[in-house]
Amino acid sequence: MYKKLFKKHLENFISILSKFGVVYAPVKKASKLYDFTELTDFKELQLKYTRTMIPPKKFFLKPKEPLYLLNKDKGFKEIVDDSKTVLLGVHSCDINAINLLDRVYLNQFPDLFYKTRRDNTIIIGVSCEPDENCFCTSTGSSHALRGFDLFMHEVDDRYIIRVGSLKGFQIISECKNILADTSLPDIKEFKRVEAERIKRISLNLNVNGIQDILDLSHDHSAWQENADICFGCGTCNLVCPTCRCYDVVDYLKLDLKNGLRARRWDSCMLRQHALVAGGLNFRPTRVERLYNRFNCKMSFSEDSLNCVGCGRCTVYCPADINFVEVLNQVRED
Amino acid sequence: MTWIIKNEKPKIGVFSLTGCAGDQLMILNLEDTLIELLAKFDIKSFQEASSYSENTKLDIAFIEGSVSTDHDLKILKNIRENSSLLVAIGDCAINGCVQAMRNNQTSIAERMLDVYGVKDNVYNALEPKGVGEYVKVDAEIPGCPIEKEEVFNAFISLLNGDMPLIPDYPVCVECKLNGYPCVIIEESKPCLGPIITAGCDARCPGLGLDCIGCRGAIRGETNAKAELETLRKRGYNDKYIINRLRFFAGNFEDIKNLGVREASKGERDE
Repeated sequence: MYKKLFKKHLENFISILSKFGVVYAPVKKASKLYDFTELTDFKELQLKYTRTMIPPKKFFLKPKEPLYLLNKDKGFKEIVDDSKTVLLGVHSCDINAINLLDRVYLNQFPDLFYKTRRDNTIIIGVSCEPDENCFCTSTGSSHALRGFDLFMHEVDDRYIIRVGSLKGFQIISECKNILADTSLPDIKEFKRVEAERIKRISLNLNVNGIQDILDLSHDHSAWQENADICFGCGTCNLVCPTCRCYDVVDYLKLDLKNGLRARRWDSCMLRQHALVAGGLNFRPTRVERLYNRFNCKMSFSEDSLNCVGCGRCTVYCPADINFVEVLNQVRED
Repeated sequence: MTWIIKNEKPKIGVFSLTGCAGDQLMILNLEDTLIELLAKFDIKSFQEASSYSENTKLDIAFIEGSVSTDHDLKILKNIRENSSLLVAIGDCAINGCVQAMRNNQTSIAERMLDVYGVKDNVYNALEPKGVGEYVKVDAEIPGCPIEKEEVFNAFISLLNGDMPLIPDYPVCVECKLNGYPCVIIEESKPCLGPIITAGCDARCPGLGLDCIGCRGAIRGETNAKAELETLRKRGYNDKYIINRLRFFAGNFEDIKNLGVREASKGERDE
C-alpha cells in the first residue's frame, strides 16, 4: 500500500510520529558527520543525507549497555529498556543491515535486550543520497523489501510512502488529513527518480564468487600491504552496520557482593577479540585480523552478503584504507 | 587473570619514584569511596596520604614515577623483593613518559648542561625508563594521570582476586562508542588516537581536541609508521610528528625507531 505526503506537511507528520515514541532522525554534527539524534527542533532534520557515521544498529545493540544487576546471593536481574522509539530516515542499506542483525539476535535464542528494543522501535525508511563510496547495488542492498514500518520515497516535492507493517498502517491511519492517494503522474515520477538514484551509485564491487577468491587468496600480498598501513583501531567495525560482536565485562561494587554486567561493541580488528581463556589468541597479528574481517564481510548469513555496501569503513578509516580497492587488489581484475 | 590473596586485608604500599605524584593524587581523588575502599586494605606506606610508613612484606605494591636515578632503582629493587604483586601506575612507571622525551637523542651530560648548567651527573641520573625495564611488573594502570574510575575498578578487581582489566585498544574505539566526530577525518588534526591506549572515554576528541597521547602507545600493537604516514598526508612534517609521538612515548620501540631527531644543545621546540 502506498500513500502520498507533500513535504509541506512533513513537520505535521513528525508531530504525529512523536505519539508513537521519541523520534530520532539524522542531524548534521560536523562536516562529514550525521548522527541519529533525538529530534527536538524540526529545523535540524536532515532527511537528505549521505550516511551517518554510527549506523542505526546503535538503537538495538547499544554501543555500551548495562545487561544485568548482579548479586552474589540473589543472582541476577535483567536491565531492560522498553522505551518507545521512532527511527526516521533510515536508508535501504541500513535497513538491510538491521535485517541481517535480526537473524543473529532474534534467532532461536533471542537476545532479550535487542529484542525488547526492536519490538519497541518503529523504523521509517527514506530514499538515500548516494555518493562515490556507495556500492549497495553490488551487495544487493540498494532496496529494502522488508524490515521497515514505513518507507518514504522522495519524489520532488512529496514523498511516496510505502506501508511495510501493521504498525506502519496504524501510523498512516493517524495521518489521514495530510496524506493522499498516489496518482498516475506520481508513479511515473517515482520511476524516474528511482532510476536516477540507482544511476548515482557508480562504485562497483564484483562480488561474484568472492568467497572462493578470498579462500584461495589467504597468502596474497595485499593483506600484508594493507596491514602495514592499518592501525588496527577498530573504526571499520564500529561504524559498520552489520558488525555484531560485543564484549562483556563485570564491574563489582565496593561490597564485592553487588555488581553490574555490561557489554560494549567489540571489533575483530582489536587485539583481544580472538583471545580466549588460557591466553591463546587465534588471530594475534594485524594481518590475520584484517584477512578475517574482509572474509567475514564477504561471507553469507543465510544467503545474504554480510556487507551492505554503505561505504562507512572506507570513509571513516583514519589510514585511508579503501574496502573496495583492497578486494579489487585481491581479485586482480 | 587471577592472583591468590593471602591476607583478607591485603597489605599494600603506594610508592613514588620520579614523577609529579599525580597518580597518587588520583587515588586520593576517589573522595566519595576513598575511606571505604582503603579500609579494605592494610596500608603500610602511602607517601601522599600519610607520613606513616612501615618497611615490611607487601601483598601489592603500587608504584608511580619512572626510574630516573640510581636512587630510584635501589628503592624499586627493594620494593620488588618485598612484594607479591607489583603494579605500575601511570605512564612514568610504565614507560618513562615525558621524562623519556630526549632518550636516545641527547646524552645525560648534555641534558645536565641544558637544565642545570653543569656537565657532571650530580644526581646520578639514568635515562628515564619504566619500572618494567628493571623488574617484573604484574599489572599496569596507564594514564597521565591515571583515571580514577580505572583505579577504583583495579583495586576492586585485585580485592576480588582478579587482575585489573585495562583497555588494550585505541582511543578511536571510545570516539566511535560515543559517536564523536573524528578530528582526523573531519579536520585533519594531528590526533594520535589510533595508536594510544583508551580508557579516558576519548575525553579530548570529545571536546574537538586532537589526542596528544597521554595514556601511552599500545604496547606491541602500535603502528607508529601508519601514524606518521596518516599525519604526513595531512600536511604535517616529520619532525613535528615524531616530536609529538615522543612527547609521552619516547621509550616505545616502534616510536623510537621512527627516526632520531637531530637535537642540538639548547634547541627548544615550538
